[in-house]
Amino acid sequence: MSSTTVESTPSPRDAESRTQRSGDGTSSGPGPTFLRVLNSEFIKFRTLLSTLILLGSTVIVMVGFGALSAWGTGQFSEAASRDPEAAARIAAQGGDLAVGVPTSGIAFAQLILGSLGVLLMSSEFTTGMARSTFAAVPKRIPAFAAKLVVVVLTSFVVTAASALAAGFVSVPILANYGLDLDLGSSQSVKMLLVNSIYVAAVAAIGMALGTLIRNSAGGIMSLVGLFFVAPIAFQLIPGDFFVEARKYLPGNTVDPLTALDHVPDTLEAWQAGLVLGAWVVIPVFLAAVLLKKRDV
Amino acid sequence: MIEARGLTKVYGDKTAVAGVNFTVEAGRVTGFLGPNGAGKSTTMRMIMGLDRPTSGSVTVNGSPLTGHAAPLRDVGALLDAKAVHTSRSAYNHLLAMAATHSIPKKRVHDVIEMTGLAEVAKKKVGGFSLGMGQRLGIAAALLGDPQTVILDEPVNGLDPEGVVWVRNLVKYLASEGRTVFLSSHLMSEMAVTADHLIVIGRGRIIADAPIQEIITGKGQGRTRVRTDQPDRLMQLLAGTGVSVEVQERELLEITGLDPRQIATAALENHVMIYELTPLQASLEEAYMELTKDEVEYHSLITTGAVPVEAGGN
Repeated sequence: MSSTTVESTPSPRDAESRTQRSGDGTSSGPGPTFLRVLNSEFIKFRTLLSTLILLGSTVIVMVGFGALSAWGTGQFSEAASRDPEAAARIAAQGGDLAVGVPTSGIAFAQLILGSLGVLLMSSEFTTGMARSTFAAVPKRIPAFAAKLVVVVLTSFVVTAASALAAGFVSVPILANYGLDLDLGSSQSVKMLLVNSIYVAAVAAIGMALGTLIRNSAGGIMSLVGLFFVAPIAFQLIPGDFFVEARKYLPGNTVDPLTALDHVPDTLEAWQAGLVLGAWVVIPVFLAAVLLKKRDV
Repeated sequence: MIEARGLTKVYGDKTAVAGVNFTVEAGRVTGFLGPNGAGKSTTMRMIMGLDRPTSGSVTVNGSPLTGHAAPLRDVGALLDAKAVHTSRSAYNHLLAMAATHSIPKKRVHDVIEMTGLAEVAKKKVGGFSLGMGQRLGIAAALLGDPQTVILDEPVNGLDPEGVVWVRNLVKYLASEGRTVFLSSHLMSEMAVTADHLIVIGRGRIIADAPIQEIITGKGQGRTRVRTDQPDRLMQLLAGTGVSVEVQERELLEITGLDPRQIATAALENHVMIYELTPLQASLEEAYMELTKDEVEYHSLITTGAVPVEAGGN
């Protein structure tokens, strides 16, 4: 069916473009520098439909949840305004409810982009692509690092952009209820940046899991276990240890980082930053070491 | 040039490759022959730096692949036709591979054209037939215009014209002075493609010699003779080192004498011969003979390690 032309003398290259070979038989020419590998990983990233679908879903979910949350917040504040007691309660929380609206879909964004992180690496192994990747870059670590950069940057940019879009959608809805959301306020900017960094961190953890487990389902399940099951399980298991340990779960670091004031029974902001950093650095480091060591 | 020294790979309690030594020279097609599970693919993956040797080493042009500044330009390999993300198009796959070495887009188009993939290049690899997958793997192997080409079972799944194409391609590559290392479990394919043969069985090198030597080395001059006086001829030829096998009433197979000696004896004694056929062992027979008891034959033209124990299954 495909027209396969059989040449009697196959020419593997143009005669004129034939490169002169040095005596020891190693050809000269550009090798895999980090920027080239980064370019390659970016091509791989953008040429998969599944990647684009996941990125698109993130935007839709973030904007959708932003709009829903704006509406819900409006309804709530309207109800509260008729109930002085509730209004006082909100005021006591120092509550500017609207500021959290643009990032209200973050729990789902982290799941989607974290899974994307898992998939980008696990699919290398499940499809056999890894053999091509690491034959071209036998040192392996540059390819791993380049992929990590692509995953982290894209997750950050997509989360930030979709949170911003969610903000733009939310402002008029909130205004309907007489609520004012200033996207340029320092707290709004902080919410956007911290949440985007957080999602990028989750994506990095996902990629580390994908590298370690090399299996899409297993990697995603581990991610879900860490971010969704563990916080609930730690809450259900009685004992002070789990109450304490729960604070150190990566998913519980984002609130301390965005809180205006320190909330009791959570980590300080700087502690949360360190804990989240450790949750990224340790798995990524382990993944890199094992990737270098193991057979592909 | 590829050089393996004491190359060993152990998976758990199974020794896939047991301390092999061999050299693949430039300028000729070296076949790597062995039954399934003999250690061919493992050896090739170790050459490509994908599997780490348990012990020993393998180098391409003097250094392991991790030491090469531009690996794709030095070594191209088809290790597995499906070493490609199934959801990506062939063109994008090659483009991403090329990007690692700043190989121009023109070269990507060239290898697509050369391997006959032009029509399907924009389609997802997942929908490819085995044959198209092989062509894509070969395209990827040639992408960097490498000095050394490693092809693991390249004719698997190819249609007859594809088989001929690969055969011509590897010969052409070798004629340009490149190192071509080609594995197969098909002896017939090796017989028409390879110049030199490395035979592996159960992780050990059984033979490492020019292909002609392997074929003739085994078949110790058998000759098929038809005569209407078989008994008389047998008496005439009897002697030390000569053995005669009676196949049919007028058909003998004689070992230990060449056709000329048989003809001379028959002529001098007026025995009519109506067939005199020198029998050359086919590569297939030679191969069967070699692999039927790898320990017994390991000393034959071998460069492999002395087997300590017939390990594995």
